[in-house]
Amino acid sequence: MGAPIIEVDRVSRVYHRARRSLTRPAPVVQALREVSLTVEAGERLGIVGESGSGKSTLLRHIAGLEQPTSGTIRFDGKDISGLSGRRLGFLRDRLQLVFQDPMGSLDPRMTVAQIVAEPLHARRVRDAAARVEEVLAAVGLPAEAAGRYPHQFSGGQRQRISIARALTVSPDVLLADEPVSALDVSVRAQVLNLISTLVDARDLTLVFVSHDLSVIRHLCDRVVVMRAGQIVEDGPTEQVWRDPQHDYTRRLIAAIPAMPADTHRSEI
Amino acid sequence: MTTDQPGRPALQVRDLSVTTRSGTHLLSDLTFAIADGERVGLIGESGSGKSLTALAVMGLLSESLTATGGIRVSGHERNLIGEREGALSRLRGTTMAMVFQEPMTALNPTMRVGQQVAEVLTIHRRARGAQARERAVALLDQVGLPEPAETAHAFPHQLSGGQRQRVVIAMALANDPALLVCDEPTTALDVTVQDKVLGLIVDGVEARDAALLFITHDLAVVSRVCERVLVMYGGRIVESGPVGQVFAAPRHHYTAGLVAASALTGPRGGLSAIPGTVPSAGRFPTGCVFRTRCAAATSECEIQPRWDAAGAQGWACHHPIGAS
Repeated sequence: MGAPIIEVDRVSRVYHRARRSLTRPAPVVQALREVSLTVEAGERLGIVGESGSGKSTLLRHIAGLEQPTSGTIRFDGKDISGLSGRRLGFLRDRLQLVFQDPMGSLDPRMTVAQIVAEPLHARRVRDAAARVEEVLAAVGLPAEAAGRYPHQFSGGQRQRISIARALTVSPDVLLADEPVSALDVSVRAQVLNLISTLVDARDLTLVFVSHDLSVIRHLCDRVVVMRAGQIVEDGPTEQVWRDPQHDYTRRLIAAIPAMPADTHRSEI
Repeated sequence: MTTDQPGRPALQVRDLSVTTRSGTHLLSDLTFAIADGERVGLIGESGSGKSLTALAVMGLLSESLTATGGIRVSGHERNLIGEREGALSRLRGTTMAMVFQEPMTALNPTMRVGQQVAEVLTIHRRARGAQARERAVALLDQVGLPEPAETAHAFPHQLSGGQRQRVVIAMALANDPALLVCDEPTTALDVTVQDKVLGLIVDGVEARDAALLFITHDLAVVSRVCERVLVMYGGRIVESGPVGQVFAAPRHHYTAGLVAASALTGPRGGLSAIPGTVPSAGRFPTGCVFRTRCAAATSECEIQPRWDAAGAQGWACHHPIGAS
């Protein structure tokens, strides 16, 4: 733990939907309402909530992919809200993102080597090949994977490619948006292990979005619960899991289906 | 590999095999039955043959595949394998119905949802005109859609994922099928919505005393929904039995691997996972299909293990867990 690396200060975001009537104004969606959140360096933070709760929107704002309607977002003390993509280069060096759908986030016409090296080309790094080899090994892909295309890999392996791409620039912060919700249980365990090991070995700060609190409980020390664009609960994961304060958090936990042998789960 | 039920089961599958034109076996010797009112889960990793089993039961296999063996549903005398498409299409939507994983692609985007539910009734001549429309609204109400009369006029894109899946369930249950097949119906949904949709499926089949074949890779979902479970790998059923018994004391190493991987407990970075990946179709080993990923495999496993059973639990393994 240490100094705050991400500071979200009273951020709101309004989206305008398509106009439905000539006489009435376009309907608006309040995706984020006055969200404040601080993430310290080295922390593992989970964001949990249902679809439409704003958890992915918040993540996209932290990554500088969206601009808040009001409020500020600082990364390592520097205000990133209102900065154009061109001026966010420093952020891309230090913060990387892994998306939910590994097929949609990998260009089908690029080889794995090209995909993984692309962040380096953007940073004008010359000798990308050695770096590509290193990160592919780090995520447990064979070296010959470099010459193949995304469709030749299974879902779990594609997610490894996404993680490799995120790691090429040696970021300090890894953001992950539901990276395991499309995966089989066994592959899910492998990818969660990989993320956990990499976060430890590379001293990363992790912000992990999921609708499943049991996944976050395994991976993260702290969790914030989002609902309708607001944070309704924030605390150490174990404490929130065992003693949820907000009704909504209780409902989220109650909805998680349990294994029959899981009655002792809460004791572990 | 027999799991016989008393009386004529709602679904009886015997020695079902599916092969490609090039002779690759995709499903091998599947035998199982589901009684009226029984809820059975089919689990396994992607590429194990779960969805193909569902498609074979529904008579929806692609023409390039060849099925052999027997599939019988209650209320239809003949084997569904080799049955004419006309007869199959009369069964689909009446005697047997299916809920697919992706509700957006299962619904017609250009048709109002009420119309789509009514269509299931009119096509099978269970109702006509205004009566069909009324029944459709009642069905949408049964699956818990708010303001069903208004929702019936909505197009699929105007509904959320959970609401769309409710519409698909209303369609599947419209003609009170004897067999409902669900293929990962909640994989794309949030935990809270998933919980509601699962409750809906259980209530729906219970009210109709229908048999349920429920496909998922999520073991916790199976324990929520099903009484019995079939574990599938490499196109074969490797273990079956009551859910509680199979998950608490699995005999097959594959089942044990799935159970261990499902538990999100233990040290970070140290979750238990089944080593390796599922081979592509046709690349599974001869003998025991799981032996290339199994820690307990020996040379004996090069021979196809026979089906053993103790009580309601059965397995196909040369070195079952718990055997001395």
